[in-house]
Amino acid sequence: MELGEVVNIVVVGGGTAGWMTASALVKLLPERCTVHLVESEAIGIVGVGEATLPHIRAFNEKLGINEADFMSRTRATFKLGIEFRNWARIGDSYIHPFGTFGSGQGEIDFHQYWLRMQHEGVDVPPLEQFSTACMIARLNRFDLPSTDPQRLDSTFGYAYQFDANLFAPYLRKLAEELGAKRTEGRIVAVHRDGESGDVESVELESGERITGDLFVDCSGFVSLLLGKALGEPFQDWSKWLPADTAVAMPCRTETAVTPYTSAIAMDSGWRWRIPLQHRTGNGYVYPSAFLADEDAAEALVGAVEGDPIAGPRFLRFKAGRRERSWVHNVVGVGLAAGFLEPLESTSIYLIQAAITALLELFPEKGISDTDRDEFNRLVDLEYDRIRDFLIIHYKCTERDDTEFWNYVRTMDIPDSLEEKLDLFRRRGRVVKYREGCFLDASWIAVYLGQRVFPHGHDMRADAPPTDALARDMAVLHKEIRATAERMPDHVGRIQSYCPMATAA
Amino acid sequence: MTGGDNAIRELVVAGGGITGWSAAAALRRRLPGLKVTIVPVPPPADALADRIASTLPSILEFHRDLGLTDADAIVRAGSSFRLGTCFTGWAEDLPAYIHAYGEYGRPFGTASFHLHWIRAARRAAAAAFDSHSPAAAIAKAGRFVQPQGEEGSPLAGFEYGLQLNLARYGEMMRAYARHLGVAERCAGIAEVRLRGADGFIDALRLDDGSELGGHLFVDCTGPAALLRSALDPAFESWERWLPCDRLLLAESPPLPEPTALDTVTAMAAGWRWQAGSAIRTSHGLVYSSAHMRDDEAAATLQEAAGTGVTGGPVPIRAGRRVQPWLRNCVAVGDAAVAMEPLEWGNLHLAHSAIDRIVSMMPDRDCGAVELWDYNRQAEAEADRMRDFLTLHYAVSRRPEPFWQEAASVEPPASLAHTLSLFRERGRLPIYEEETFSRDSWLAVLLGQGVIPERTDPLIETVPPNQADQAMAKMRETIAAIVPTLPTHAAYLRNLSRQFAR
Repeated sequence: MELGEVVNIVVVGGGTAGWMTASALVKLLPERCTVHLVESEAIGIVGVGEATLPHIRAFNEKLGINEADFMSRTRATFKLGIEFRNWARIGDSYIHPFGTFGSGQGEIDFHQYWLRMQHEGVDVPPLEQFSTACMIARLNRFDLPSTDPQRLDSTFGYAYQFDANLFAPYLRKLAEELGAKRTEGRIVAVHRDGESGDVESVELESGERITGDLFVDCSGFVSLLLGKALGEPFQDWSKWLPADTAVAMPCRTETAVTPYTSAIAMDSGWRWRIPLQHRTGNGYVYPSAFLADEDAAEALVGAVEGDPIAGPRFLRFKAGRRERSWVHNVVGVGLAAGFLEPLESTSIYLIQAAITALLELFPEKGISDTDRDEFNRLVDLEYDRIRDFLIIHYKCTERDDTEFWNYVRTMDIPDSLEEKLDLFRRRGRVVKYREGCFLDASWIAVYLGQRVFPHGHDMRADAPPTDALARDMAVLHKEIRATAERMPDHVGRIQSYCPMATAA
Repeated sequence: MTGGDNAIRELVVAGGGITGWSAAAALRRRLPGLKVTIVPVPPPADALADRIASTLPSILEFHRDLGLTDADAIVRAGSSFRLGTCFTGWAEDLPAYIHAYGEYGRPFGTASFHLHWIRAARRAAAAAFDSHSPAAAIAKAGRFVQPQGEEGSPLAGFEYGLQLNLARYGEMMRAYARHLGVAERCAGIAEVRLRGADGFIDALRLDDGSELGGHLFVDCTGPAALLRSALDPAFESWERWLPCDRLLLAESPPLPEPTALDTVTAMAAGWRWQAGSAIRTSHGLVYSSAHMRDDEAAATLQEAAGTGVTGGPVPIRAGRRVQPWLRNCVAVGDAAVAMEPLEWGNLHLAHSAIDRIVSMMPDRDCGAVELWDYNRQAEAEADRMRDFLTLHYAVSRRPEPFWQEAASVEPPASLAHTLSLFRERGRLPIYEEETFSRDSWLAVLLGQGVIPERTDPLIETVPPNQADQAMAKMRETIAAIVPTLPTHAAYLRNLSRQFAR
């Protein structure tokens, strides 16, 4: 048997990124690597990204994680999408669903027919009511999707809302059982080879040096290896995404345990609401240049629904990414590589994308430039497209009620986004990509939700006679409603499937 | 109505070959309320999308979108089936390989099949890569069946293209377009008249003295691009990567049992093909005039085909128009992309352009951002086709000067990236607008002996002997199923009987 060399991997930092990386490596490349994770309990984890995207299910599946057990232990709820409230105008509410509009069949996208009816002045229900995912969400129901593509209840996917502070320990147990080694300690120095510049070892407070062939930097914002030791420059995107602070405060759930996350626009940013089984996560994301910390905390306390479970906690960050995520023998994963605010729940997705690319381009001791460049190309693509997607939420608004909204409404945006917006405005078309985390329906939901309304529509949507189309749409509308109404209540479904473990 | 008064209502198609009639039929059928007029100027000899009988599987999808049945488009038009191409002599030290339109192996463990195969090949323990493809095995045995069964079963994972009877197919498409209401103006094009204000095409002046105006002009007139070239001449040449610049055609009587597999054989200064159908056997020779004289080429083809050459050498100027769609004129087929027929992509690119026009139809002003998106996709698609064709030369291994030169040219950057990633560890990068599947790329790369330097760590959870057994099992399954299938000729006869009833 041809055996590859065994690569010794040092993962710097626990937390979600660190333990996701460690568990994936030991599970999927057991013959090819050893994993040694260094973390310090004295350093807290950021634990953002309690709300996820449907891709997480593929990750869990690869790791052989049982869904019900995982949900029970991380006190998870189901998630069908994200509700955006007050974004284009105060009083607006739309859902970005993890699913398609219409029946998901047919030659052209359903929203083209809907646009045609709007252009003809025919009275049809809002687009959201033609999304099975949105309707289930609005009714606070949930059931697992069907696998029969003919059925309306196959037109959606789902993700989880879970306690990020419980996810890392869950993965840690799995990784350690599979042979990952863990060392507790704070890193005080990083030693590099004088000639190659590669990292040779990290030194702990105790004086112990941990050596390795490949270092995965999961140290969070501090970016201990990639940023500090190797000095990889940071591409600053704060002119487009100016938020640099979040204040988080969990509270008791007083209203519904919704099968969706909410992002509620505030005077100088937005507020998240993430219902878990045992509590609701809240936080206010804002730019410190527009809002003082104490005012943000006060606004958050005033806005949350139930008694706070903990006091307000502040996080500082900057939007952007390192020029390259993989430099020498250091791969940055998660916040050490870049940060995008959690508006579209992409933090864990970006960790997963980096891990997937690392697995597919897993190196030997001598790392090839081809692999490194390909990794960076793949990761950059993900960051850049998500960046554009996030900017839409701010740029495409009619709000002029505060200094903050005036700034984002009038700011310049990247050329890549100008083109996408123009194309949608003309006749509701979405630039198609094979890669990238958001599919057409996501862009459509957000454009329309942000009141970017196309002047025209796809000519093919003109084919059916108006009254026949109106009839078909009325039938579909009714069927979608009935499909949603047949589903069990969200909390009831959780109780029967994955009630939270009492001793987690 | 779309865009009110600004919607495109009157459309002119120029070109009376298969491409032109297909465009006219599709635009008329698939876009409501569109008046389509065709000026069916006969296609020139170098309009290869109109002249090459072998097609890719995408033609069937094109028929379905048009509402054409198999009975009309296959049986009555005298088409037969193609499962793939057998490449002979492209890497001299290796046996022939088959590029079929379907799965090569099934993934097992957590990784793609080819990674297991590569590991076995590196231990010199692999059976030919194409012996794991049901479609290749069926084609090689002279048999045929339309795909069937559940996903994952051996007869479900492939597609097939057609071998057209060009004359009958063209007549069928013309009749269908006329039936759909396409208007025909039989005259030559004397002048393309542009509007002074914005340079849009105002009207075509025809050689019968009349004029034909429209909102959008679709140019299917072959490489000369009679309409589109009146707007600008910008052209990107691919000659340095695709060195063949001549084509000769020949025809011989049909074989008693034509197979669903055509052959493409490397020659001293190019390659020749042979493709059978129930009606005739088509032959062609594609060569570089810098390395072979026309009379030598004619003699070579005559000898191989056992019949005289049809017509003179056809020039091929490989490359693409820089913006296929400019103002209110869009070039389709050879008018947009010209290339040798290796891998039979010419008509496919024409179909793909027609589909793209249907789905992206703009307003009369042909807005810049919409044309930008159209051109972005069309250009990327053409470039990926160029890369796939170039691949065959870039990884060829033959001693003749023509081949030595072809293999030593620095490939386009996108192909160089693919090759370096693949050589490193068998990884194929994903690009937008790719025509050929990963399995197609693998069939050529591995068929021509490009074995990656490393095996992928992701397969190490499956021990080699276990992988060997799984691969042997796949070959056994294929070997057991192939003899139970009808021959291609019998299948065709049966199909004709069925539809004749």
